[in-house]
Amino acid sequence: MKPVLQHSAVLRLLHQAPLLLFAVVLLGFGALSPAFLTVANGVNILVQTASTGILAVGMTFVLLTAGVDLSVGSILFVSAAVGGKLLLSGWPLAGTLPVMVAIGAALGALNAVFITRFAIMAFVVTLATRYFGRGLGLRITETRAMNLPEGMYQLGAAHWLGVPLPVWVFALVGLLAHGVLTRTAFGRHVYAVGADPEAARKAGLYPERVIFAVFVICGGCAAVAGIVTLSQAPAVSPGLGNNREFMAIAAAVLGGTSLFGGRGAVLPGTVLGALLIQTIENGLNILNVNPYLYPIVTSGVILLAVLLDAARCRVLAEAGRRRIFVES
Amino acid sequence: MHSPRRLLTITALAVATLLPSGCGPSGTPAPESAAAGSGPAKVRTIGVAFETLQTEYWVAGFEAIKAELQRRNLGMLEAVADSDSSRQLQQVRNFITRKVDGILLVPKDARTCIPAIKAANEAGIPIVLFNRPAADTPGVTSTAVVADNRKLTRETVEFLVGQARKSGRRHQAMVIVGDLADINAIGRKEGFYDAVKGQESVVQVVAEVPSEWNQEKARAGVVNALQAHPEISLIFASSDFLFPPVIAALKSAGRYHKAGEPGHVILGGFDGDATAYQMLVDGYLDATGVQDVYFEAEQSVQALMDQLDKKATPPLILDPGFVIHQGNLAEKKSRMWGANAVRR
Repeated sequence: MKPVLQHSAVLRLLHQAPLLLFAVVLLGFGALSPAFLTVANGVNILVQTASTGILAVGMTFVLLTAGVDLSVGSILFVSAAVGGKLLLSGWPLAGTLPVMVAIGAALGALNAVFITRFAIMAFVVTLATRYFGRGLGLRITETRAMNLPEGMYQLGAAHWLGVPLPVWVFALVGLLAHGVLTRTAFGRHVYAVGADPEAARKAGLYPERVIFAVFVICGGCAAVAGIVTLSQAPAVSPGLGNNREFMAIAAAVLGGTSLFGGRGAVLPGTVLGALLIQTIENGLNILNVNPYLYPIVTSGVILLAVLLDAARCRVLAEAGRRRIFVES
Repeated sequence: MHSPRRLLTITALAVATLLPSGCGPSGTPAPESAAAGSGPAKVRTIGVAFETLQTEYWVAGFEAIKAELQRRNLGMLEAVADSDSSRQLQQVRNFITRKVDGILLVPKDARTCIPAIKAANEAGIPIVLFNRPAADTPGVTSTAVVADNRKLTRETVEFLVGQARKSGRRHQAMVIVGDLADINAIGRKEGFYDAVKGQESVVQVVAEVPSEWNQEKARAGVVNALQAHPEISLIFASSDFLFPPVIAALKSAGRYHKAGEPGHVILGGFDGDATAYQMLVDGYLDATGVQDVYFEAEQSVQALMDQLDKKATPPLILDPGFVIHQGNLAEKKSRMWGANAVRR
C-alpha cells in the first residue's frame, strides 16, 4: 500500500505544478518589489494577458485534437489589417468588429478544409496559411503602420464594474471555452478525437467535423485576440501578430495541454499558463531587470513547467503499470 | 485517393516555401523590372536585395533607392528575403548569375551576410550595404552606408535632457530598447546612455523596457514601468514605430499632454516616421532623430558607381542624420521621410 500512497501524494503535488509554480513566481516577485503585489498591478497583468490568453484558448481546442495551428498570428494580422482599413474608411466600430471575427473564422475554415477534405497535415496547411496571411496583410496595409481612430483606444480603456473591458472579454472567452469542453457533447468529442481518432470514429463520431470546428474556433479566437490587441495599442503595424503562435502554444502547454492531443483544459490550465508567462514579463519589467535576462528567465520557467509535466506523466505511467513479482 | 492528396501536399509545401520571399520576385526577378530603357549604350543593372519590407522605414528606403536608380537611368532587379539570411544568399547568387553590375544589400545582421559579400567579391561585382554594416572579416570587402545610430541618438537625448533641465527639476526616465540582436538597436541604447551619463542631477534612468521591436511588448513594458515608477516624466523610444503603444499607455495613466502643458512627459524617438511627424505637428513629441534615408540611398548608389569606375570607397559611410524638434520642424521637414509619407 505504501508505494501507492506515495505515488498518489506525488501525483497530487505534480497535478498542481502549474499552480504551485505560479504561486512561487507571484511570491518571488512580490518579495522583491512592493509595487508588484498590488491590485492595480494585478489588473495590469490580466489586461496584458488577455490577448495572448484568448489566442491560447483557441489553440487549446486545436491541440486537444492532436493538431497545431501555426497561422494564428497571421490570422490576427489579416483581420486587424482589414479592420484597420474599414475603420479608417469611416466604418463604425460596431460594424467592423464582427467583420474581423468573421475573417478570422473564415481563415480558420480555410485551414480546416485542407486538413479535413484533403487530409493534409495541419502543420503543413497552417504553415502555408501563416505565410499567405502575412503576405496578404502586408498587401492590405501596403507595409505602412495604420494609426486607428480614438474609438479603438476607448474600447480598450473602457471599464465595466470597475474591471477593464479586455479582462471581461478574456473571462468570457475562457468561461465559454471551458463550458464547451467540459459540459457539452462537442467538448467530449474533442477529447475523444484527440485521444484516438480511429476509436472515436468506431464509436460513431465524425472526427473531420470536430477538427473542422476546432480550426474555425481557433481562427475566430485569433481575430478576437487581434481586437483586444488593437484596443491596447491602437495601431496596425506590419509586424503585428508575428510569432504569436508560439506564445499561444507555450501558454497552452504550460497549462498542461498535451501536444499529442486528448489531454488539457482551458480552466485553469491554459489561462494559468498565459497568466504565468505575462506575470514573469511584468515582474521583470517592474524589477527593471537587464533586458538580456528576459528570455533566459522566461524560457527557464517554461522549461521547468514542462519538466514537471513530464514527471507527472512518468509517475502516472508508472502507477498504471502492472507489477510482476517472482516468488522465490 | 492518394495522388490528389500528394499533389496538394506538394502544392502546400511549395506555397509555404515560396511565399516567404515577400513582395517582389526573389531570386527570379521579373523581366519587366530589369534593364529599364534600351539603346546602343548598355544600361547598368543593380541588384537590390532587402532583408524585409515589414517596416515603414524599409519601404521608404526601398522607394528612395528605386528613385535614385531611376534618376541615374540604371536598371534594377529586386528581391526580398523575408528575414531569411540563407534565402538572401541565394538571391545574391542569382544576381551574380544574372551578371548584374552591382549589388545593394540590406542584410539581416552583421554576420550572416558575409557569405553573400564573399560571393560578390569572388565574382568581382561591387557590393554596398544599406543601413546595416557587416562584421569585420579578413578578406571580405564591402562598403556600408549606415546611420550613425549612437551619435544621432546621443544628440536626440541630449536635446531631451536640455528640455528636462529647462523645467528646473529632476526627471525620472524610461528607455524602450529594441531587439537586442539588432546592431542598430544596440547603437541607440548606447547613445541614450552616452547622453544621460553625468546628468544624474537632471535625469535619473529608472526603467529599461525591452520591446524586441514589438508594439504589444512595448505597451505592456511601458504600463508596467509607469506602475512601478509613477514619477517617470521622460521617455525615449528606440524607434518611432513604438509611439502608438507609448501614447496608449500614457493616455491610460492620464499622462499624455502637449509640450508646455502641465504634466507633459518629455518624449523622444528615433527614425523620423509619419507618426512622429504628426506628433511633432500636434505638439506632443519633443524630438526625434531622423535617419536621412535620401542621403543613404544617394550615397549607396554613388558608392556603387565609384566602385564600377574603379574609384576607392571607404568601408563605412556615415549618415549623420539630424534631430528634428518643434524649433526646426518647418526648416527640416522636407528631409524627414515620415513627413513626405504623410504628404503622399
